[in-house]
Amino acid sequence: MPAEKIRNMKDLDAIRQSVTGAQDGPNAGQEIRVCVGGGCIASGSLPVKAAFEAAVKARGLEGEISVVGVGCLGPCSRGPVVLINKDNVFYESVKPEDAQEVIAKHIIGGEVVERLNWRKESGPPVAAQDDLDFFKRQTKVALRNCGRIDPESIEAYIGCGGYQALGKVLTSMTPETVIEEMKKSGLRGRGGAGFPTWMKWSFARKSPGDIKYILCNGDEGDPGAFMDRSMLEGDPHSIIEGMAIGAFAVGSVQGYAYVRAEYPLAVERFGKAIADARKYGLLGSNILGTKHSFDLEIRMGSGAFVCGEETALIASIEGQRGEPRPRPPFPAVKGLWGKPTVLNNVETYANVAAIMLKGGDWFASFGTEKSKGTKVFALAGAIKNSGLVEVPVGTTLGELIYDIGEGVGDGKEFKAAQIGGPSGGCIPRQHLNVPLDYESLNELGAIMGSGGLVVMDEDSCMVDVARFFLEFVQEESCGKCVPCRVGTKRMLEILTRICEGRGKESDIDTLIELGNQIKDTALCGLGQSAPNPVLSTIRYFRNEYEAHIREKHCPAGVCPGLVRAPCQSACPAGVDVPGFVSLVGERRYAEALQHHRNRNPFASICGRVCFHVCESKCRRASLDKPVAVRGIKRFMADQEVTVQLPEVRENAANAKRKIAIIGAGPAGLSCAYFLARLGYRPRVLEAERRPGGMLVQTIPSYRLPRETVAREIRMIERMGVDIETGKRLGKDFTLAGLRRDGYEAIFVSVGSPKGVTLDIPGADAQGVTDAMTFLKSYNFKGSVPVGQKVAVIGGGNAAIDAARTAIRLGAKSVTVIYRRTMEDMPAFLEEIEEALNEGISIKPLTNPDEIIVTGGKVSGVKCHSMKPGQFDRSGRRRPEKDGTPYVVEADQIIFACGQTLDSSELFDHDELQPISGYRIMANTITGQTSIPWLFSGGDAASGPSSVIHAVAGGERAAVGIDTWLTGGNHAFWRVHQMVDTVYDADADPVAYPRANMPVLSAERRKDNFNEIELSWVEAEAIRQAKRCLRCDYGKVTAEERS
Amino acid sequence: MSEVKNCHCQGEMSEDDMLRQIDGVLEDYKGGDGALIPVLQIAQNMFGYLPDAVLRRIGEKLNKPHSEVAGVVSFYSFFSTQPRGKYVVRVCLGTACYVRGGKQVLDALKKELQVDVGQTTADRMFSLDVGRCFGACGLAPAIMVNDDVHQRVKPVKLTELLDVYRNKENECAKEVD
Repeated sequence: MPAEKIRNMKDLDAIRQSVTGAQDGPNAGQEIRVCVGGGCIASGSLPVKAAFEAAVKARGLEGEISVVGVGCLGPCSRGPVVLINKDNVFYESVKPEDAQEVIAKHIIGGEVVERLNWRKESGPPVAAQDDLDFFKRQTKVALRNCGRIDPESIEAYIGCGGYQALGKVLTSMTPETVIEEMKKSGLRGRGGAGFPTWMKWSFARKSPGDIKYILCNGDEGDPGAFMDRSMLEGDPHSIIEGMAIGAFAVGSVQGYAYVRAEYPLAVERFGKAIADARKYGLLGSNILGTKHSFDLEIRMGSGAFVCGEETALIASIEGQRGEPRPRPPFPAVKGLWGKPTVLNNVETYANVAAIMLKGGDWFASFGTEKSKGTKVFALAGAIKNSGLVEVPVGTTLGELIYDIGEGVGDGKEFKAAQIGGPSGGCIPRQHLNVPLDYESLNELGAIMGSGGLVVMDEDSCMVDVARFFLEFVQEESCGKCVPCRVGTKRMLEILTRICEGRGKESDIDTLIELGNQIKDTALCGLGQSAPNPVLSTIRYFRNEYEAHIREKHCPAGVCPGLVRAPCQSACPAGVDVPGFVSLVGERRYAEALQHHRNRNPFASICGRVCFHVCESKCRRASLDKPVAVRGIKRFMADQEVTVQLPEVRENAANAKRKIAIIGAGPAGLSCAYFLARLGYRPRVLEAERRPGGMLVQTIPSYRLPRETVAREIRMIERMGVDIETGKRLGKDFTLAGLRRDGYEAIFVSVGSPKGVTLDIPGADAQGVTDAMTFLKSYNFKGSVPVGQKVAVIGGGNAAIDAARTAIRLGAKSVTVIYRRTMEDMPAFLEEIEEALNEGISIKPLTNPDEIIVTGGKVSGVKCHSMKPGQFDRSGRRRPEKDGTPYVVEADQIIFACGQTLDSSELFDHDELQPISGYRIMANTITGQTSIPWLFSGGDAASGPSSVIHAVAGGERAAVGIDTWLTGGNHAFWRVHQMVDTVYDADADPVAYPRANMPVLSAERRKDNFNEIELSWVEAEAIRQAKRCLRCDYGKVTAEERS
Repeated sequence: MSEVKNCHCQGEMSEDDMLRQIDGVLEDYKGGDGALIPVLQIAQNMFGYLPDAVLRRIGEKLNKPHSEVAGVVSFYSFFSTQPRGKYVVRVCLGTACYVRGGKQVLDALKKELQVDVGQTTADRMFSLDVGRCFGACGLAPAIMVNDDVHQRVKPVKLTELLDVYRNKENECAKEVD
């Protein structure tokens, strides 16, 4: 190794050439690049590297092929990753035992090892790095060498053009022209605040004084940020070079890099880089034979977040407590040891050499009007491709998360992106189109920050997230100024109270007021920005705060004080899932059913059609797959021979009060059920001939046999509920009439039963219908006209139900046309899969433009294929037209584009005020409307929703009505009943995998309406029940404490 | 998982030994600007904690009042005036890890080690601490055992993970025997 000093540019070029032209032979210059960034090392990349080295050696290829440990390649979640440079092939999740195969098959045989290629959820594996969405959408400037060269080799850095910029600056530029070039580049501080770098340099240059310092801030403390670490570990020389150029510009000969102690590898590699640069004379006196001298030392942090603030960092280097001081004077005037000082972030310095070589204009060609260049982001949290990426400033958040990060994964929904750490804010899904630049983010109450971007899905509670950040700030506050020390403490106390279920109505306002005061009065950036996470979550997720305060409910199922078990918390009806599941596990089926019906009367119905939010929150999913709650429920309900009645508390006074329930769907029946348990004798009025609402009108009987529904309705009738059918509101009776007849309270649960058709040409032709009419007609009359070629327009459950009904009634072909992607379809996944099995074809990304009518009859749908475009406010990509129109032939069109409530027919006689559009406005906790005696729930109040939501709405209104009539809350079923099942908390979870319920084969079910799903045998049901992890074990929630 | 580094087989060091060692370090740093924190970091690494006698000696040699030295030590979370376990287990509660279940990992560790945060096990093997982001967010939740980062930690696998260190110690003990 030549340790001779580099005296001039010629020496530098000589080394550069010796590195690039060192090898010869057929494989010369071939490298196997193994990522040895922090993430990949933790995934085991060092043994992988060793295995490749051994494999190369075993074949005698050492002279030709080098195995290089390189800095972070980017996609940490795919680690350990390996890149073959000759054809740019990228391998993920490589294990040491794969090395032999890669060498033999790929390096020697020239054939790519496909099984190690990057795979998306769908589509073929992709071999070349440049073809991967993750890479091809990136522009790497600061990370230009990261993942390309051995970070521990200064020769490698010089070989790819390193220190050329320093040479150019020292030999052909003046400090003024350097600063001028920086000004042209428009580079702004990448540490977060975005102050123009050239200005900082220029201030320090102009400050009087002989001694000036240049500092590098590598105290990357924001949770969720790891870009500085990756750069220090992956390309340390580019930071040294950037600092040396900065030193020349401001007139400094001594620099310090302040690096966190939590980054031992970064300290080690950066330290080696400094030593190597010194050895070559690239640090020290008379660099490259010029008059310029510069040297650099590392100072390690000692675990204090506040030291990321510039004045605190300076105090820490001086050997003091890292407390900030007021500015001005700014460090550029009075910094380290009282001398003019420039402090820039790691990423800022990493850009400098590239700007000097390629010019400020080149750098400024990336980015937006006000924010130039590229920015490195660290993607973390609930995102499929976590890791390090660099994109032009102004790239939208949605592109970053979906195009590069491939979305949140696990079938969960994106909720928010937290950007800027404890100083930043959350960006919710309605703003996925925000360009990531300093100004746009500020407008939304977030900040660019250092670029840490933590993606949160539906499982994150935003109140808890805010509390977490405040706890962080509280712990890291240096305590020097009162607003930060005491103010954040008060805010934390309030947030803790809310999370524990002891929140007060006034808390949200207090938080906002306090937050704004702290912002205005804290001493340093840490304190001034500390309230941001709270203020931004209140701004976008106020409803979650309100749910915690008013309903004592944590919608995400996170806050321990409010959540007994995530599944129970997720169930709109609050069914004690671990309770009934564990009872099933002990074969105590009658007790289990009783326990279930304590909160939800429709165990048998829900065992068939519930969309089981409980399962999507099941913690077992983090181990393997969620507990099959619905299957267990189905089995449990099937064991019942004679329907048992739940506990009913007879009450003579209540029995005399007259309560009417309009609509015998799940909401109305649930309301009646719970009222009856309190001793009331409500009367239910149903417009149709049979009670059950959507359960019997639209849900097809192959999913829900009618006897199942009838059985559970009979149970409710036997509890003293009187159901009258054929009574239609607005036709057979009016609300005013009921009042005249002495009804004290009325619950309206008329649903939203009217189908919606699209307003496109031909929508009124013969052969066009809507799913509601179609399904109801078949379900009630037993027949409905069905075409040969049916097109169903829509992507919800009604669309799938209509399509599957049509195929059973003899349609030759059924096509479902949906304008968004398959993943966006609101229909349940199981239903979609079974529909496909039955031969129904689904055309996603297809928009119907016009219904073609021939001879007065439908003959087809003119469609446009679509492509996903920008994100809309629901966080989904709005489809855009793409390609030429084409025709889907059809002789029947079924619209399934939504349902609504036609209020005019029902309420014209009553001139009801609480009607807004197509919904009845009712209190979500009590069901009460602005007319005190009128309550509402189910689809009529919430808009089209699920059975379980309707059950919950009915229960809430039953309690609301009772409270309104009696002045007290008697909902005894809400007091949690402990189950006495055995649970060994220390035992390992059972290893049985999740089982699906058996189904009839497509051939055996396609032409009839027999129930498709079959129950498990007992042994299977018990095994499935035993999979429950009993998250409820030992929990006492706030509600029970009070 | 990366390999276990740093065998801490040697027994407890006497106070005199410590002072002798720190004097050696202080020779290199005498008079240097901002020497206090680097010296404290070296001492912390050498002894695992900062005994009072060592702090007083550092103050004397660097010409700083004890109050200033103590003030600096109490400010930074990396310094400890109490002996620590041979392995410091730090659970990341940074955002990404928190979102990914860092809290559950911490609870499981408390149970596994029978200590609370900031405490050391009776056998001085493990200390439990909470960390703020190790920059390993890509593969959350993460914990650090001394310098080793373990990622995607599952609460049920913790015993297995810690056993690697326990076994290492047992082997060392055998070798010494």
